[in-house]
This record gives sequence, C-alpha cells and structure tokens, in this order.
Amino acid sequence: MTRLIMGRLAEALAALLLMSLAIFLLSRVTGDPVALLLGDGATAEDRDLLIAQLRLDRPLWEQYISFLGNALTGDFGQSVAAGRRDALELVLDRLPASLSLAGVALGFTLVTGIAMGVLAAITRGSAVDLLVRIVALLGQSVPAFWLGIVLIYIVAVQWGWLPTSGYGTTAHYILPALTMGTFTLAAVTRLVRASMLDALGSEYIKLARIKGLPEATVILKHALSNSLIPVVTFMGAFFATMITGAVVVETVFAWPGIGRLAYESIVSRDFPVIQTVVLVITASFILANFCVDMLYLAIDPRMRDRG
Amino acid sequence: MQDHGFIRGSLAALAACAVALPVMAQSEDDTLVVALPTFSEQTMTPWGGSGQRKTYLDTVYEYLVYLDAEGNTEPGLAESWTVENDGTRWTFTLREGVPFSDESCGTVTAEDVKYSIERLIAEDSRAGPASTMRRIIDTVETPDERTVVVNLSAPDFLLDAGYFGEAQQLGIVCKSYSESQGEAVDSAPPVGTGAYVLESLVDGSEINMVRRDGDHWRVDPQWERISFRAVPEEATRVAMLRAGEADIAPVNFDSIAGLEEAGIRIVSAEKTWSPVIRLGGVVQSDPERFNAELPWADKRVRQAMNYAIDKQTIIDELFAGQGTVASGDTPVAAWDSVPPYPYDPDKARDLLAEAGYADGFDMVLKTFTTTPGAELPLMAEAAALYLAEVGINATIEPTDWPSVRSEWTGGGKLDFAMTHRGFPFPNPENGVEAGFSERSLFASFTSDELEAKLASLAAETDRAERREKLTDIGQYIRDEAGAIFMVLANEPYGVGADVSDWSIDTSYVYNFDRAGKAQ
Repeated sequence: MTRLIMGRLAEALAALLLMSLAIFLLSRVTGDPVALLLGDGATAEDRDLLIAQLRLDRPLWEQYISFLGNALTGDFGQSVAAGRRDALELVLDRLPASLSLAGVALGFTLVTGIAMGVLAAITRGSAVDLLVRIVALLGQSVPAFWLGIVLIYIVAVQWGWLPTSGYGTTAHYILPALTMGTFTLAAVTRLVRASMLDALGSEYIKLARIKGLPEATVILKHALSNSLIPVVTFMGAFFATMITGAVVVETVFAWPGIGRLAYESIVSRDFPVIQTVVLVITASFILANFCVDMLYLAIDPRMRDRG
Repeated sequence: MQDHGFIRGSLAALAACAVALPVMAQSEDDTLVVALPTFSEQTMTPWGGSGQRKTYLDTVYEYLVYLDAEGNTEPGLAESWTVENDGTRWTFTLREGVPFSDESCGTVTAEDVKYSIERLIAEDSRAGPASTMRRIIDTVETPDERTVVVNLSAPDFLLDAGYFGEAQQLGIVCKSYSESQGEAVDSAPPVGTGAYVLESLVDGSEINMVRRDGDHWRVDPQWERISFRAVPEEATRVAMLRAGEADIAPVNFDSIAGLEEAGIRIVSAEKTWSPVIRLGGVVQSDPERFNAELPWADKRVRQAMNYAIDKQTIIDELFAGQGTVASGDTPVAAWDSVPPYPYDPDKARDLLAEAGYADGFDMVLKTFTTTPGAELPLMAEAAALYLAEVGINATIEPTDWPSVRSEWTGGGKLDFAMTHRGFPFPNPENGVEAGFSERSLFASFTSDELEAKLASLAAETDRAERREKLTDIGQYIRDEAGAIFMVLANEPYGVGADVSDWSIDTSYVYNFDRAGKAQ
C-alpha cells in the first residue's frame, strides 16, 4: 500500500510540473498583458517601460525558471491586473465558492443520479425506464450555458422562486448546482443503471431472493452497494467535469469562483493568476483522484491485495 | 413485489428542501442595485486600473471639474480656475472645507490634489490616460493650501473638461491615507470626498457602498446604499432587471424591446461610442507599419469600402435605430459638420475599377465583442454582405480583443481589418492623436500631411483656431477614408421602476449617486 501511495505522489508531482510548463507556454501564445495595460495614446517608449516593469523582457526560459523557483516557496507572483495582489491569495479567496458549488452539485448528482439509475434498472423496459433514459440523454446533450439561462428565466423570472444569480445564501446555490450537475447526473444515472442491471442478474442476488430477503434489502444492501464501485471510480472525473464546467456556470450565474477568475485572468492576460488558477485546479484534480484511489482501496479488497 | 418507496421518499425530500430554502429575489428597499458586466481590475485607487472602474469609484472619489448635461464645465472640488500662457498654465482654486470620509484626512488641500495628479501619471500607474498625461503635464505647484498650478509642456485648452474633468480618472485622494497604506493601497478601502463610502465587498461579486452621514456639498443621495454586482452575462443582467433584483444595468440593443414590454424603461447615453471597422497596415508615415501591398493602401479602395455599406440599415436592424451614421471613428463634436459617406454601391464599384480592383479582392475581417459592443460580430457579418455586393470577399475571423490588440500594437505590417469601437475622449485632440498619429502604437491610419496638421493643431494657441483645425483634421480623415466609419451609437441601460430620475449624458459619467428613488 505504501508503494502505491508513493507511486501516486510521484505521478502527481510529475503532472503538476508538466502542467506548469504547459500553462506557462500556452498563456503566452496569444500575446501578453502589455497591450491591454497601455492607454490608447501610448507610445513605443511607454510599451518598453511597461515590459521592463513586468519583467517580460527576460528570455522565456528564465521567466519559467524564476516562476518555478518562486512557486516552490509559495510565491506565485502578483496579479498584473488586480492591483498587484498576491496571485495565490486571489485564487484561494475564490476557491471556497467554487468548491462549495461543486460539492453541492456533486451531492445533487450522486443522490439523484443513483436514485434515477436504480429506478430505471428495477423498472427495466417500462415507461419509467424510458423516461429516465431520455432525461439522461438530454442531460448529456444540453449545453450548460443554455440550461442555466433557461432555468433563470423560468424559475427566477417567471416563477420568482429563486434568485437569478449571485452568491451568499443557500438559495443562490440551487440553480447553478442544478446546471453544473446535470451533465454528470446523466452520466451517473446511466452508470448506475448499467451496473445495477448486471448486479440484479447475478447469482448472489438470485440467492438473496431465494432466501426470502425483502426486496428493499436485496436492492439497497446487496445490488446497490456493489453497483456503486464504478461510480466511485468515476468520482474524480465527475469532479473534474464540474470544475472545468465552472467557467461557464459561474459566468452565467455571476458566481465569484475560480472558474470566473480563470476566464477574467485569461481575458486580461494576467499570467501569474492564470498559472496559479490552473495549478490549483490541477492540484484539486490530483487530490480528488488520490482520494478516489484511497476510497477504492478501502471498499475493494482486491485492490488492497494488489497494492 | 418490488419496493420503490425509498426512492420516492428521497425525491420528495429533495423537492421539499428546494422549496423550503429562503428566497432572496428582491433587491432591498433602500439599496440601489447596479448590475455591471465587470468590475475590471477591482482596484480602489484612481491610478490602479482602467476607467471602467469609475462606475463604482465615482461614488467615493470626486473631481476638480464636473460636466453638465451639455458637456459644459461646472465647479467641482475646484471652485474656479484660469488658463494662461497660451494654454500651458492652469491655476485651480480649491473649494474650502470639503471633508474626506476619513476624519484623520481633514479637508481637501492643494497637497492632496498634487499627490493625486502625480500618482495618476507615475510610471507604475495603470490608469488609461497615464501615459498621455505624463507627456502633457510638466510640473504641479502648490503656492498655498487652496491653490494648485499645473504647468503643461504643450498647450491644452480643454484640460478642465478633459483630463481634470469627471469623465476622466483624476479622482482626488487623501495623500496621508494613501501613503500610509503603502503598496496595499490599491486594494485598501478607498477614502475620498464623495457621498458614499465602501461598506463591504465580496471579491469578484459585490461592491457595497453606504451613504456618508450628514449633508454632502455636491449631491443629496436618495439611496442609503448602492450595491454594485458583477454580472458578466447580459442575459442574466436582463433577468435581474425583470425579476426586480437589479435597478440599473447596461443592456444590449436586442434586449430593448423585451425589456420595454416588461415595463423596464430604457435610458440611453446618446452617441457615446462608435462602432467602426479599422483597416490595418495603413500607418503610411511609418515604413515599419505601412503595408503598401494591400488593396486598401489605395485611397480609392478605402473610399469604395465606405460607399459600399448601407450603414443606416445596419443601425436600424442591429442597433434598434439608436444611433446615426458616423463620419469619424469616435464621437467628436467638432466633426458634426463633417458629412458621412452616403450608401452608393455603384460609386463603390467605379472607385474599385479605377483602382484596378474591378473584380474585387479577398480580405480578412477580425471581430470580437466588447462592452458595449456585443453587436460588433453581427456588424462584421452585415458589412461583409455589403462588401460582397461590390466584389470584396471578406472572411470573418472571430477572435478576442486582447489577442487582436496585441497584434495591432505590435509594430508590424498588418494585413487585416477589424471591427472596433471608439469612445469619446474628453479632449478630442487626444483621441485624434491616439488613432491617427504615428507616435501612437494604436494608430490605424496616418500620413505625412496628417502629421503636419496634427503638429499645427498642437502648436495653435488660439481656441477658436484650434477647433477649426480639429474640424479640418476630421474632414481630412473622412476624405482619406482612414477607416470604414460606421455608427455613432447610443449606450442603453435598463432602469427598474424603483428608480425615478437617472440620466447619463456623457461617456464614463454615471451619476449613480444622483439616482432618484421612486415613492
């Protein structure tokens, strides 16, 4: 087990290093913040002065080594656009909003997706099953920005039940979490349905029924617990989907998370913030997948033996 | 018999939770909620970023000079001022006893004004006009506590309405407070003389201002609080207006009809921005930037492109009729007498044939959205259709403003055109220099003749002559077809029923502290 954990940690460090290089180079492909920070009447001398102030006149490799060295000491640089604020502080300030929204969306996804998947499996071939599959198909097909705007207009404007956007109260979570979770909800539903169908056709379920166990016990205790293993496997990927989807959802719902910060920093070519956001998101993915691996070790004895 | 009760129970519990959660859909009675597309840098000093932050900073900071609805100057923190030495020496006399929001700062003194000016033009200033002001302002003197003398390196007869006016970024700060904050001053709570102070903020989401105690010397605010919300998606801002969550929000032209149907009134700042198509590679007086190979390096081709497009139809269809056909690239009052190009596709074809392009040519037209400016990509599509009618095949390339701006100011030979929007400069001479002088990185069209005209304008010491020369420059740029001039457009805002009087007459002057409250 220790070897497995160490292996995972080494992979995580390599991924972070690669990602830092990739984002460092990619963020510089479409220009720099200089053109945006200069006023309309700026001259070539103004541009040179600003380039020197931002230390963008050094060779790229030198800038990268400097960034990497400082990052190892926790210094990710100062924002170019947001008043020279510490980039890491800026990102960490916005992180709780994104994590809490992703957490609520994931909770909604799991509870509803598992319930719908089980329902579809135990009513296989019925109208309910068909309906759940249609809902799942739609969930994976509808773009988040469209769904978000439609929900705002129906639930918030027409019915007046919830706020259109913003952040601060429990009510503010519902529409963005629904929008963020719908794509993953469909995936969980289909995954649970498929694995439940497998489980329900297995010998141990037949045995449980022959022994006369109540149907709820057969479904909840025996079939469902085994069907959830694939869901656990994919939880890291689901979390990743939600964080990457946060850019759109946070923009539509004016949610002050790192998704919007990422978008804003890309628009303003705020290199230190872009790099920090991406590295924090990467670290979150790695941590989520690491947790999933550990969870998997805990629930699947075969993995423990292999580890 | 299968038992599905647990599933039904779970779903019912979820639904019950959703309905039971508190609804915070209405804006508070004493708070004016303003939904903005962006907080821009969200910094709190005048020099910490762009002029877009004036939406919220202008409730805290005040200016030496204010503008009335017609754009005439009115006393602000300066109760009077004079200009001498052929427009190179300005003397401002400050209003007595205007207190800062922080008691330790006392009242506004000449030293505060001097510090505010010098900080705004410092080399590390991120303010939009910093570099131009740095070139213009030579020294600032404070002969006594209430007098500020500004010596300029070149004549500027419009300094009061221009860089020192409320449409620009010279908000007056408290020197002692700003210095005490050190490097953190950009994100420290702002201290000014305005009617409001910062109450709280949620990074990237809300900036909440609260009215100061006591009477204010300039305005009598009717709202206890002003809450600015950053809402980048226009559809969400419209939804907020319709749901009563926002009282004022900028909206797109295609949202106007729906909002009016829903009882939201539209207040427009008239002719405050100018959608335009800039032609790259025609900085003719700079060999590094002039691309002589381009078809539009020939004046006749540029003129043909102007004649080929039915701009009035574009205004009617894309800008809800809210605008007029432009004869320049930014709104400039001195250019009102310059006639725009009429729609004349036959003349366009003749000019193309004369220039040797009877069969037309291919070109790239880059486009992107801005705020305002959601209509620019559609305008590009419409322009391309009209250009195709005279044989010019424009390929639309969607991009983003930061990318194209880097390219445009890179100093190379450009070979494409782009949609863009011009804003009025408080001093239009600075706007002309930014767009049409080879000194400017952003210049899109120059010529030796134009450089001579600009030099003559800069040296002119007679006000009336100066205005005539500015008009002459506008006529020259129009005749040379320095761009495809499109529209002088309005800037529409949706305003909810809780707001009584609120108007916006000038670009970058928002008057949120003057918004009336409906009874």
